[in-house]
Amino acid sequence: MIEMNSTAQNAPAELGNSIRTGSGPSFDRRTRLRWANSAFRIACIAAAGFVCLVLFGILFLMFRTGILTFQEVGFAEFFFSTDWDPENGHYGALLFIYGTIALTALTLIISVPFSVLIAVFLAEMTPKWLRNTLRPVLDLLVGIPSVVYGYLGLTVLIPWLRDLTGKPLADGLLAAAIVLTIMVLPTISRVSDDAITAVPKKYRDASYALGSNRFQTIFRVVLPASSRGIVYAVILGMARAIGETMAVVMVIGNTAQIADSLFKPTAVLTSNIVMQISSVEFDSTWNYALYMMGFLLLVISLLMIVAVRFLQKKGASE
Amino acid sequence: MRKWFKSLTAVALALSLIGGATSAASAASTLKGSIVINGSSALLPLTLQASSEFKKLNPKVKISASAAGSITGPQAVRKGIADIGAVDWDASIDVPGFKKFDGQVANPVAVTVFAAIVHKDVKVNSLTTKQLQDIFSGKITNWKDVGGADEDIVVVNRKFGSGTRVNFQMKALSGTEFMSKGDNYKEVGSSGDMKTTIETTPNSIGYIDLPYVTTKMKALSINGVAPTEKNVLNGTYKVWGIGYFMTKGKPTGATKAFIEYIQSNTFQNGSLKKLKFIPLASVKNLK
Repeated sequence: MIEMNSTAQNAPAELGNSIRTGSGPSFDRRTRLRWANSAFRIACIAAAGFVCLVLFGILFLMFRTGILTFQEVGFAEFFFSTDWDPENGHYGALLFIYGTIALTALTLIISVPFSVLIAVFLAEMTPKWLRNTLRPVLDLLVGIPSVVYGYLGLTVLIPWLRDLTGKPLADGLLAAAIVLTIMVLPTISRVSDDAITAVPKKYRDASYALGSNRFQTIFRVVLPASSRGIVYAVILGMARAIGETMAVVMVIGNTAQIADSLFKPTAVLTSNIVMQISSVEFDSTWNYALYMMGFLLLVISLLMIVAVRFLQKKGASE
Repeated sequence: MRKWFKSLTAVALALSLIGGATSAASAASTLKGSIVINGSSALLPLTLQASSEFKKLNPKVKISASAAGSITGPQAVRKGIADIGAVDWDASIDVPGFKKFDGQVANPVAVTVFAAIVHKDVKVNSLTTKQLQDIFSGKITNWKDVGGADEDIVVVNRKFGSGTRVNFQMKALSGTEFMSKGDNYKEVGSSGDMKTTIETTPNSIGYIDLPYVTTKMKALSINGVAPTEKNVLNGTYKVWGIGYFMTKGKPTGATKAFIEYIQSNTFQNGSLKKLKFIPLASVKNLK
């Protein structure tokens, strides 16, 4: 939309130029340009409309297929039972919903303090040359494919956790949360870093002038001032953690049981969908239930994006 | 300068020779098409081996093979995603737990031998049917109860829809239900995952077909009988099954030629045997 507006603004100037240079009859040129402009405008609107159509198409398809679950499964069973045994007609999805929430929460508990400290270090304490090296490194970390993280989790982290705890099988929430932490750490710290850097210098100057030391300045002035940006960063990290599949499926253990300890093999919405979707019959309640779980995931991540937009708007208006 | 020129000529000559050779090979076979194979990961070693040999003979045929468990094979064929669905049971008839797939033809390709496997450090070499049943249903949880060290048993199971799971449950556990929960229990998605998990997890037990057995794991004897071709053929080792390629109706074109290549004597008694599958012809008189 932004590009479209700028083109529309530039067009009259361009029009004037072409008339001055006199390339052909001015009327033809003008009509042609007007036609090109409106065609471009329609193309842009069509593209934007197409994206919306795809989004609502996906939502509608997931919902329409997912809702069929409740022909045979009670609403209460799906959302409040933890007994997932589709071969024998039990479709309790609570354990996956719980798993997803627990995993995301655990990930954030580990990653947020780390990320904020990294961001503070980057924005407030590093000499310029180090900052200019570290920022690109973090940006590169964001781009590492999740399967690589999962593979390292499987081959390095799990044997290490096994040795450390003496558990025979270290798959579970903690292993998955550690892998996800490493994944979302660069995202959260880079976005928080930008938020902290954006705090005006006069705030810091005022704080120092009033006699506070560096610690007090950072924790009493800079962090509160950038808190909205940091929350935005955390939500971005959360969205990535909730939707992550490949890295999680490799370390979570894939067993349909509710995790009452950090080292119990369990499953989350994403890992269960990817493990089972290819094995189920097309027109079965089992298949519908997996679609319903996908729809739940979609709704959760959409809500998060709405929250991010809301925060951004509020921040801009202040 | 002369030397340089000479070597260049040699390279050019070699290149033209290679080019000539490939064009000669493609002239030999006029078969065209593409084959998509999905399904059993137990049969994947065979599928991969056969397709690399078949592609050499028929360079214009494209084959892509992947595996995510037996049940995905006939399902992919039904949805039209795959031309061949590899499966470890006859999916054209009803079997316990799985309905038949209407309109699909089961083409037998190999005999697959399944074995209970443990991590290489586990001291136990043989288990009885009763002990296997108790371990996989979660009644026995420590290796010391079956003659091993005092260590917790980690049970690794295949997910629902695995043909290896179906065969192992029917033939090694006499139909006993698997456990489905526990601290030391996990499920994996394919034979490859099973192999990696058993290799890397101390005190683990699982099951797999013989082509996947490596030196980092140990295939157990069941009731004192080792999982070998000899014991299958003399009728003492019972945990084996026939692997099938499911097709929509009778196979045609490249798919037909590929299945016939696998069923041919050359392949059955050559590569297939080397991979530790058993030729179909040898088990005709069994059962």
